[in-house]
Amino acid sequence: MMPTTVPTVVYLVAGVLFILSLRGLSTQTTAQHGNLLGIFGMVLAVAVSVVGLFGLEVGETARSTDHVLEVYGTALLVGGLVGGFVAARVQMTAMPELVAVLHSFVGVAAVLVGIGTLMEAGSNIEMAHYVEVQVGVFVGAVTFTGSVIAFAKLRGTIGSRPLLLPGRHLLNLAIVGGAIALGVLGWGAEPDRALHYLLGLTALALLLGAHLVMAIGGGDMPVVVSLLNSYSGWAAAAAGFMLSNDLLIVTGALVGSSGAILSAIMCRAMNRSIWNVVFGGFGAEPAAKGGAAQAPAGKYRETNVGETAEMLRAARSVIVIPGYGMAVAQAQHPIREITDLLVARGVKVRFAIHPVAGRLPGHMNVLLAEAGISYDLVKELDEINDDFGDTDVVMIIGANDIVNPAALEDRSSPIYGMPVLEAWKAARVVMLKRSMAAGYAGVDNPICYRDNTVMLFGDAKQTVLKLLAALQG
Amino acid sequence: MAKLGYDVLVEAGAGEAASFVDATYIEAGAKVVDAATVWREADVILKVRAPELDELNRMRDGITLISFVWPAQNRELLEKLQAKKATVLAMDSVPRTTRAQRMDALSATANLAGYRAVIEAAAAFGRPLGGQTTAAGRIKPARVLVIGAGVAGLAAVAAARALGAVVSAFDTRPTVREQVQSLGATFLPFEWKNETGEGEGGYARQMSDAYLEAEQAFIAQHAKQSDIIVSTALVPGITAPKLITSGAIVSMPHGSVIVDLASEQGGNSALTEPGRAVEKFGVSILGFTDLPSRMAPQASELYAQTVFALLELVTKDGKVTLDYDDEVQRGPLVVHDGKITWPPPKVAIRAGAPAPGVPTGTHKTVNEPPPSSPWPLRIGLMLALPILAVLALDGSPSLLEHMTVFILACIVGWHVVWNVTPALHTPLMSVTNAVSGIILIGGLLLGRGRDLSVTTWLGAVAVLVAAVNVAGGFRVTARMLKMFRR
Repeated sequence: MMPTTVPTVVYLVAGVLFILSLRGLSTQTTAQHGNLLGIFGMVLAVAVSVVGLFGLEVGETARSTDHVLEVYGTALLVGGLVGGFVAARVQMTAMPELVAVLHSFVGVAAVLVGIGTLMEAGSNIEMAHYVEVQVGVFVGAVTFTGSVIAFAKLRGTIGSRPLLLPGRHLLNLAIVGGAIALGVLGWGAEPDRALHYLLGLTALALLLGAHLVMAIGGGDMPVVVSLLNSYSGWAAAAAGFMLSNDLLIVTGALVGSSGAILSAIMCRAMNRSIWNVVFGGFGAEPAAKGGAAQAPAGKYRETNVGETAEMLRAARSVIVIPGYGMAVAQAQHPIREITDLLVARGVKVRFAIHPVAGRLPGHMNVLLAEAGISYDLVKELDEINDDFGDTDVVMIIGANDIVNPAALEDRSSPIYGMPVLEAWKAARVVMLKRSMAAGYAGVDNPICYRDNTVMLFGDAKQTVLKLLAALQG
Repeated sequence: MAKLGYDVLVEAGAGEAASFVDATYIEAGAKVVDAATVWREADVILKVRAPELDELNRMRDGITLISFVWPAQNRELLEKLQAKKATVLAMDSVPRTTRAQRMDALSATANLAGYRAVIEAAAAFGRPLGGQTTAAGRIKPARVLVIGAGVAGLAAVAAARALGAVVSAFDTRPTVREQVQSLGATFLPFEWKNETGEGEGGYARQMSDAYLEAEQAFIAQHAKQSDIIVSTALVPGITAPKLITSGAIVSMPHGSVIVDLASEQGGNSALTEPGRAVEKFGVSILGFTDLPSRMAPQASELYAQTVFALLELVTKDGKVTLDYDDEVQRGPLVVHDGKITWPPPKVAIRAGAPAPGVPTGTHKTVNEPPPSSPWPLRIGLMLALPILAVLALDGSPSLLEHMTVFILACIVGWHVVWNVTPALHTPLMSVTNAVSGIILIGGLLLGRGRDLSVTTWLGAVAVLVAAVNVAGGFRVTARMLKMFRR
């Protein structure tokens, strides 16, 4: 027998551990420690909840039946094993997909817990409790389908171009309105009917989640994934309200605000408001203006691997700007070898990371870390932007919009005002690219036509491997 | 100036006191003539001090004059200039905005004055300023009190610190505290009711009588412990506040020094005699009004720069052309077209938030985060207020408790996460992901004390997926973090 206060205290400890865990993540040196604290908190919280199933608390007379214990035990075990297995196997380049799909699981869990709570409460449910259930289920369902669509888009199962239905804002509004109406109708109805209304609300929310994310293009994925991260937190918090569990509330709030901050940072990095990202359907805009149809507006010069190798050999300082192209081609490992070669020659090599490079906040950092590149060499936009002027060679690998000078110079450009890496200020710029196609935003990039820019076409990994061979030879 | 298209006349011997010989002016393309010629021929006259009576009499009608004027104290002068139909730009009335900084003669000369004030005080003070321990005994460092931490005050603080004195500074504007402390001086905080001395445009403002009294008492108290007082308290447009009472002066140690930089505007101390050094009750009171001129070469160079900047601004095609809508030009314009145009209309120096409803689109100035539209906040408030009202009137206590926990946790999360370095954003997401798998507990709670039913099955599925989340999230985070290395 243990007093009922024990779980509460354990939950408190777990909550504090989670906060410390997030704090630990603020620097590389403390991050691993932070992760361990998180795991510890989770183990504590789960353990004390499992003990609750055995009815060991004072006043909790009933012990769950053996069937329940078996089912729950199996679920915990299987879930844990599957999760651990997938996480151990996943490629670092597939991180965005993994994160997205994990979000969807939180969404599902929130929906299930919500429905379960309503069924259990039956007809003698309080107003506040009822509202909590509806909100929790709604947020959970939006998170679920939103994350699934994001996952599919990141995997390339669905095209990354935004799907823009006519009148889509009205459609969204109608869905939200319908959901609220169902919620109101369900209030005070027979338990069975209330359940039906709740299921209807779930269906609408599922539709809304899918539709919202369908309308967002691939390049905005960093924002979307962080938003979904935030939603999954709010869903957990809502579940906490339903179940009167403070740990869920605290944890959900932590995750929710964390995701919100990430979204805000991403939006700032693109100089766009969150509304614009969520409802804007960006990629389509320039097409409407005829921007995408524009032919390349100047002459570019092509180079070859040999020349580039010469250039790198002669350089004293080099900055590499990786983009999503590097992630797709998995070029980070040969790049690391090139870096090692250059550093051994006494060249100062650094990496410049734009906040929205890649498909996930911090995506590039993870890939470079995977390749074994020291994080001291990897710089953020603000840290390095002033240094381009003193740099001999800038190598842009699979990045486009984040080095577009039009963002600073051309008021009519759709990306005008977005902070960019000012690569063109360096003495020479080599741009590795598959073709002259425009970047995600559909905007032509004047950096290609600058006098100090040369283009090196081809698959990033092949090109980098050849470059490595040329440098070694 | 010749480059702007003006023909330049220089009064013979004008630069002598500042060690600029006439020949240098000729070299620079100017003609050197006598004073009478200057007043007779010039269309634009650049001067330091406000014109004296005899100069006024010699002045032609309709000229443009750029100099210090002190329009607030010199009403009479303004009227005379008005009668002469002159266009007068007062160097002392240049607004204190970023754009006008180059023309801010007051700041430029005040800086020098503050420095010089300490030098004068050190000369008049019978002991060294810096402390030392010598074989013959200890030299105590001098205690310097600086009143008014404006440009001059801060320069004085820096100079006194550099000479080794122990410096404290006093100002009615609490915002200058950091500036004072950054120079290594102690800031004497003075609070009285709710008044602060922060006026418009970064200048101090006039305070109520009661406030002044409290201020005098405060200074008197600190004066007792000071060897040197440098007072620089000025409020634009009015005579300087009498901050140092005769009582305070009496209580100062014998041999102390007061340098009153405000003496031209009446002085901060009760016993200041403008332009002279006097000794009262054993305290030397230096009321020099010409401190910048005592460093003439530098002062005139700086002043020339500011005047030139103003002249450059108002010059178009070799002629003075004023733009009334430009606050930098409108500010100093005190007499024009036979009218007194002082004081200038008030201009809001810092624009506030953008008008509501301004579309926040994609076209924004470079490197400036989009001005946050006030709407999200307002909408948030509009939503939050009724909810809070309902909760306050009719909420169940447990809901309120949960609400409290929730909101506080949001704030904690917000602060903790802002510190995360951008490089760790992906691990942050995966760890928060794992943590949000805490919803597992929600699933477990559904199974408490029950037999198998639809509810418990729902709970079990929730536990299953959440467990995937927890294990997967933590595992992948650990993997990623292991890769980050120096």
